[in-house]
Amino acid sequence: MIKVKNVTKFYKPDTYALKKVNLDIAPGEFVSIVGQSGTGKTSLIKLIIAEEKPTEGQIIVGGWDITNIHPREVPFLRRQIGVVFQDYKLLQKKTVFENVAFALETCGSPRKKIENVIPQVLKIVGLEEKFDRYPFQLSGGEQQRVVIARSLVHKPKLIVADEPTGNLDSINTREIIDLLKKINELGTTVVLVTHDREVVNNLKRRVITVDDGQIISDQNKGRYVL
Amino acid sequence: MFLVEVARVFKFAFQSFFRNFWLSVVTVAIIALSLFSISFLLMINILTQHVLTVVKDRTQVYIDLTSQATADQITILLDELNKLPAVKEAVFVTPEQTLENFKERHKDNPLMIESIEALDKNPFTGSVKISVHEIADFPVILNELSRSDYSPFLEIEDQEFTESKLLVERISEYSQKIQRVFFFISLVFIIISILVVFNTIQIGIYTHREEIGIMKLVGASNKFVRSPFLIEGFMYSLLSIIILLILIYPFLTFIQPYINNFFKEYTLNLTIALNQNFFTVLGTELLVAVIITTSSSFLAIRRYINK
Repeated sequence: MIKVKNVTKFYKPDTYALKKVNLDIAPGEFVSIVGQSGTGKTSLIKLIIAEEKPTEGQIIVGGWDITNIHPREVPFLRRQIGVVFQDYKLLQKKTVFENVAFALETCGSPRKKIENVIPQVLKIVGLEEKFDRYPFQLSGGEQQRVVIARSLVHKPKLIVADEPTGNLDSINTREIIDLLKKINELGTTVVLVTHDREVVNNLKRRVITVDDGQIISDQNKGRYVL
Repeated sequence: MFLVEVARVFKFAFQSFFRNFWLSVVTVAIIALSLFSISFLLMINILTQHVLTVVKDRTQVYIDLTSQATADQITILLDELNKLPAVKEAVFVTPEQTLENFKERHKDNPLMIESIEALDKNPFTGSVKISVHEIADFPVILNELSRSDYSPFLEIEDQEFTESKLLVERISEYSQKIQRVFFFISLVFIIISILVVFNTIQIGIYTHREEIGIMKLVGASNKFVRSPFLIEGFMYSLLSIIILLILIYPFLTFIQPYINNFFKEYTLNLTIALNQNFFTVLGTELLVAVIITTSSSFLAIRRYINK
């Protein structure tokens, strides 16, 4: 699903966020990328969703070489990747339904499809009753579930979640992780970036540890080792 | 698919306009005020042009004839003068008309009227009234009248003519200066208005930066992200023009008496002047407003769209 070959990311004047990173994630995997702050985890995510380009190396997502992707092609890539961030990135002046529908509307999906898909994804994340609420009327966990619902509307083969539980308490954290596991069981590849030791240890899935821009450990049923 | 996208773009533009209602109101108010100021300046410009044109049109020179001038000589002189391309009109003014004009001009001055009536006979001789197309053309006429064959029946005092010439030259010079000053003031004002509107739009887009980021994140194309903001900019322009229309007519009606009082017989009815140039003035302003708002939106979004 994701192939990262010899990727280096350099920021001027003298910072190497990633150094000669190699990574291969197969379709259907649930991978946790762990590491302390500033070690290059988020830079790696930015390269995978083509928010930035690598200084060196090659990145392939779903068989598509996005190393030098043209800006005009980026929207098509983004429609194949669901992205979840710690700070939710919800539109405060849109309801739950509108926020989720937004992802389909901006891509020109017909009204009928939107009316079919949104109740389905809201049901998956357990928010079908709160479709008319605004983000400020929801808890942190619920807001994050809206984001996950939004990331699911394009039926992506890959979901990238960058610290999705960073702002949540332990109960909400468990709910979000359970939701991601459920999505993964349905066949979607999940890449989870976190520094929550408990989450990683409970998952018992593949763990990639990043430190100082390099992968220092890659275990199939790993634990948080830092 | 295309129609669905167009409909969505309009929907987002309207949603953004109404959900950020007060920001929209402020933006429209600033654009409307800028347009109003520019319109006012344009109207003042039109008024100044009008006054200068009237002054130029009314600038005439009277050349006195001697009492020996015969009717034939006067006819020949008028024919020659009217043949000159620079001359708009050359007409003979009889001594009686000159006396009447004098009395009319001094009707509020009883001493003058009494003095002229105390005389046994009309002290005025006939004269030739000359109007020209361009004030600068007076020297051409001076040359023509300086011909020796006219000297027996023309009373040209060099000093008098020179004074007239100086006066008209001064008017011409002032008119050019006023035009230049107004052009400069208008230019400065238009630049200030453009900058204010540009800045307001930039602030508006800045408040939407998060939304732009999310649109990009969920896979919206750049064109789709940009279009609602461009339409919103167009809506601002259109509303500003409507507000301008609502304000400008009562305003012109309000200031008309002051304009009349100030410019007296040189005044111009601004409402009629605006009506006569309605499509030119408002069409130009709409075009300028649309260009400013959409280009401002375009430039402001570019900063966030490429992230």
